[in-house]
Amino acid sequence: MDLVALQGLNFVYISLTLALVALGLAVVFGLLGVMNMAHGEFVMLGAYSVLVVQNAGLPFLAALPLALALCAAVGWLLEFLVIRHLYRRPFDTLLATWGLAILIREIVEASFGRDYKSIDQSLPGTVDMFGVDYPAYRIVLMALIVVFFIGLLVWYSRSNTGARIKAMVSNPALATAVGINTALLARGAFIFGVCMAGLAGVALSPLVRVEPYMGLDYLLSSFFILVVGGLGSLAGLLVGSTVIGGSDAIVSAITSKTGGYMTVLVISILFLWLRPNGIVARD
Amino acid sequence: MASSRAINVLFLIGLLLVPFVWDSFVAYQLGLFLLYGMVGQGIGLCWGRAGFLPLGQALFFGIGAYVFGATLKSADGSGIVLVAGLLAAVLAPALFAFGVGLLVFIRQIGSGPYFSLITLALTMLGFQLANSMDWLTGGFNGMTGIPALPGTDTYETLYYVIWAALVLVSGLLAYVGTAPFGQLLGATAQNEERLQYFGFNTALLKAIAFAISAAVAGLAGALFAPHQGIVTPQAVGFLLSAEIVVWTAVGGRASLIGPVLGAILIGFMASELRDSFQYWEVLIALIFVIVVIRFPGGLWSLVEGLARRAPSLGAKRARERDIGIEKSRTDGPVDLVFEDVELVLGPVRILDKLSFRIETPGVHSIIGPNGAGKTSAFNVLTGRLKPTAGRIRYNGSSVGGLSRHRIARMGIARKLQIPSVFPDLSVGRNVDIALWAGDLTHSQMFTLRPFRWTTPLLGEMQGIFPFLGEADHSAGSLSLGQRQMLDFAMTCLTQSPLLLLDEPCAALSSSETGEMIDAIEKIVALTGSTAIIIEHDMQVVERLSDHVLVLNQGALLANGAMEEIRADPAVRAVYGGGSK
Amino acid sequence: MKRRTLLRTLAGAAAFAAALTVSATSGLADDPVKVGILIPQSGPAGLFGPSSQNSAELAVAEINGDGGILGRMVEPFYADVGGPPSDAIQAALKLWKGEKVDAFIGMHDSAVRGALVNLFKGQVPYIYTPVYEGGECADGVYVLGETPSQQLEPVIPWLAENKGASKWYLIGNDYNWPRDTNTAAKAYIEASGGTVVGEEYLPFTADNFDSNLAKIKESGADAVLITLVGGASVGFNRAFGSFGLSDDVIRIGTLIEENTLAGIGAENSKNLYSSAGYFANIDTEPAKAFADAYKAKFGDDAPVLNSLGESVYDGLLLLKAIAEKAGSLDVAAMENAAEGVGYSGPRGDATLEQRHTTKDIYLAEANGVDFAVVETFGSVGAGDNCQ
Repeated sequence: MDLVALQGLNFVYISLTLALVALGLAVVFGLLGVMNMAHGEFVMLGAYSVLVVQNAGLPFLAALPLALALCAAVGWLLEFLVIRHLYRRPFDTLLATWGLAILIREIVEASFGRDYKSIDQSLPGTVDMFGVDYPAYRIVLMALIVVFFIGLLVWYSRSNTGARIKAMVSNPALATAVGINTALLARGAFIFGVCMAGLAGVALSPLVRVEPYMGLDYLLSSFFILVVGGLGSLAGLLVGSTVIGGSDAIVSAITSKTGGYMTVLVISILFLWLRPNGIVARD
Repeated sequence: MASSRAINVLFLIGLLLVPFVWDSFVAYQLGLFLLYGMVGQGIGLCWGRAGFLPLGQALFFGIGAYVFGATLKSADGSGIVLVAGLLAAVLAPALFAFGVGLLVFIRQIGSGPYFSLITLALTMLGFQLANSMDWLTGGFNGMTGIPALPGTDTYETLYYVIWAALVLVSGLLAYVGTAPFGQLLGATAQNEERLQYFGFNTALLKAIAFAISAAVAGLAGALFAPHQGIVTPQAVGFLLSAEIVVWTAVGGRASLIGPVLGAILIGFMASELRDSFQYWEVLIALIFVIVVIRFPGGLWSLVEGLARRAPSLGAKRARERDIGIEKSRTDGPVDLVFEDVELVLGPVRILDKLSFRIETPGVHSIIGPNGAGKTSAFNVLTGRLKPTAGRIRYNGSSVGGLSRHRIARMGIARKLQIPSVFPDLSVGRNVDIALWAGDLTHSQMFTLRPFRWTTPLLGEMQGIFPFLGEADHSAGSLSLGQRQMLDFAMTCLTQSPLLLLDEPCAALSSSETGEMIDAIEKIVALTGSTAIIIEHDMQVVERLSDHVLVLNQGALLANGAMEEIRADPAVRAVYGGGSK
Repeated sequence: MKRRTLLRTLAGAAAFAAALTVSATSGLADDPVKVGILIPQSGPAGLFGPSSQNSAELAVAEINGDGGILGRMVEPFYADVGGPPSDAIQAALKLWKGEKVDAFIGMHDSAVRGALVNLFKGQVPYIYTPVYEGGECADGVYVLGETPSQQLEPVIPWLAENKGASKWYLIGNDYNWPRDTNTAAKAYIEASGGTVVGEEYLPFTADNFDSNLAKIKESGADAVLITLVGGASVGFNRAFGSFGLSDDVIRIGTLIEENTLAGIGAENSKNLYSSAGYFANIDTEPAKAFADAYKAKFGDDAPVLNSLGESVYDGLLLLKAIAEKAGSLDVAAMENAAEGVGYSGPRGDATLEQRHTTKDIYLAEANGVDFAVVETFGSVGAGDNCQ
């Protein structure tokens, strides 16, 4: 029974963290049509923010404002210099952001070195959950992600900005005509997206390896989630991360991790082919 | 064109001289970049011309490398085995790509990112398989000890073999690009749906282009095996795929030689800087980002820009149309039946048990207020939308659920409401596509003769629309009215028995409207076709039609001659008691 | 640009063909010995570039201060081989044919080694220095790195006896080295009276290890043999620690060096062991002297010493030892002299047998983010590599 509880907790954990990681990419891809290949690098910037804070002897939570400020600044710069010129050229944004990803990675490598960094657990140890010892930090993280997503959902459905964003996505020309500043809104959406990636980096940093090349992992898993879940809704994001995280976990448990990875690839290919809009299609 | 072809040839000849000007080590290094450049040329065909970006070309490169590497290891000098291995290294990737391409393109129109992501996932799958199946591939450590290509020295003469392969591939791609196939690919990138209404199976066209690119990648991979003496999973990897796309973009995706130039430039730069400049990757990334933003045509477009200033070699020769053909379907009675056709999209009922029958030649008009379902009726008839219920029969056979190009090939041609020509092609090429519609065989796609086709109707058309004679003008530079006329002319040139014309006079001046009405009357009379016109302008309807269908709220409201329609109280109610 | 001018002097095809066969030792006595040093400066293994380069520089300085090799000064030529084999071939060719180096030292993966062995074809001496799966036996190739049998033959019985390791779980990345290591490990586990309760291989892209940890827990393993590399090893060991598994289950890695341990972090390194021919904290005179010289030359902030980086230092020592016994850098002469050549360095005394070194193997236990050697196994052979 313990094993079932453990696998269950693992399943919830992977689904929620994947959704958190993919959120930023979903915003940028879903709202702006920009495939941000530098998405993972913003996750990395978040993780390195924690490192800076840790080296300065400050508490873990001090990394949040730093990561948000850093990602917002870098995001603003990239949007201003590169992305805004390419909104109507999807393949070119893909290529340009790929180049930007290399740039960010190399700058971090030049500043912090190529080696692995270890982020201290601010909540070490395990707690008993349903009869299994589960890492305390993970439990807290899962709860926070749930609260965060609910908050985000409420804000998006109620706020004025949410309505403007919806207007921009469904009809940019009309949105401009009724006085919505779509350029500003697009920049805001891009910055919001990369800040969410940075936030995910902060949250995951004590659990994962931290090094300049860590971003690629998060980019790939985020793409798979978007592919399966579809764009444009939070529900899709959660469904996507559940399907990807779940199928990887189940197949890995039954066969091997390689089997799980190949299953994820095959599922993604099938979705791209048969249901390119994902399970929860944009309405 | 002529000068750019001359530069291409000069460039290739220049490459042949490299071993003499520098030395064979430089040539050996260059050989690798030429192989990558060839893969890039294949990407150029798909991306620069047909408009879809394959992100996983290393998969085909790697398959070619593994297959021919294994062949070299086991051939023992046997010529037959080598030739068979080479064929397999080229054909296996081509067939695989063709299958994948067809399966994906049939379901998805346009050049969205989904196809690109599928190829990306496939190459990642390929990497994992090459890594895991160590009994076959040698795993991560690679397939080692691959001998030299018989009759060559890897560090000396193999370069000439690679050069010859590059020339072969360049020649092949240049020819394919010039042939009707290449023109149709370009048209696919500009307006895939329009091309389908001309009866072309664009999914097949794109799949063939993808297969050609895979064959080229397979050939490059086959030569990579003896060039390197080892093949590792990195040759199938995502990173190599991405790098080659980058080189293609930097060099010039739309040009023949650009991808090769990109591979050579970045290849040598990386090789020179790698050990002398710590931040070489930053530099290359910067160059790459700047080229993408500032020079979307790549560096080759700059080379060509310079060349254009040089005096052109020889004047352009206007192509003569001297092969008269007969379109395979000129006339015949038309029998179109709508039976209780329903179309429901989400909560909206767009067509509501629409039923009518058209079986007489001449011009029929569909009128009705906005949202009556006029264009939707065309959409379900031509395969753009699938009817939710009901039946549509055309000359006795069912149309429902067929794809656009199949319906077009049954003899239904459609002109869209917004003039849809192929703006980047010349007027002459636009006309070609209409003439080819339904009659161009697959093998003719790869010959140059179809450019000389003409029909008697084309002569008539040129009389009506004189601008059709200026065949070298790009269609995008025409005025809106002329584009409307070109679109109409192209629709008629298919000589389909049933012509669907959606607001042919929209956006025309009153004098142009007059010309258009004359043209429609004349052409329909000449070809004996049946035309169905959606029109808001009652004067146009009155002048052209013997028979009017009135649609309202997705159903047929009235059906008959103009006078009967005018008298119909239901119609009067809808139109508020009068016509415009 | 210097290279470019050198290349231009190569007069075309004839000179190039001749260069393939002409022996490189026909220079004057005051010609430097040119050594190509192939280390990763980019890509996944780029992490080990700086410590490798520093170790090489130190070795060159010391050898030259001591009279050089065969009385000639050593001139190092560095090249980045962190990319795929195709890049490495280009880099090695540039040094071999362009700079005319006399010998190569290589610290890179086995795919690159396969490519280089095929390229060199025994025409230039080539010393391969990192940990690898064993089995290389080509002419002119001398292997310094530890093989699986070296790392595990004495270590597994020791862990069984002293730490009670009996139920083993084998986990590694999905490629040749982990598979070959585990094949060797199984025999030693069986011989030590233990059983293998699980064996698993992960793709390089793996970044979540929950299912593996659940399986390890379920299997009741009391020891885990880790052949994950780099980032995967860091991620796995962090998760392992965070689940509190490290209290009851010991871990032993055959490629967990100082950088990886730093990434794993002190919180997650309890009961973590590593087996290798070198650790930065080996408590012997030669090792301390080396570490002090390294610190003196490169400062306190220098990239941390580790077995992979240090192996390049030993590679130069081995080259000197073989060349001086042979009296030449000619491959044929070195081939005749190689068997039985001995040298001594930071790792202790080593002897060349079947192209591989017989040497001391250290078992270290993690203590926070440092290793402490808990046992030294003297003169362990590399096993049979030339079948």
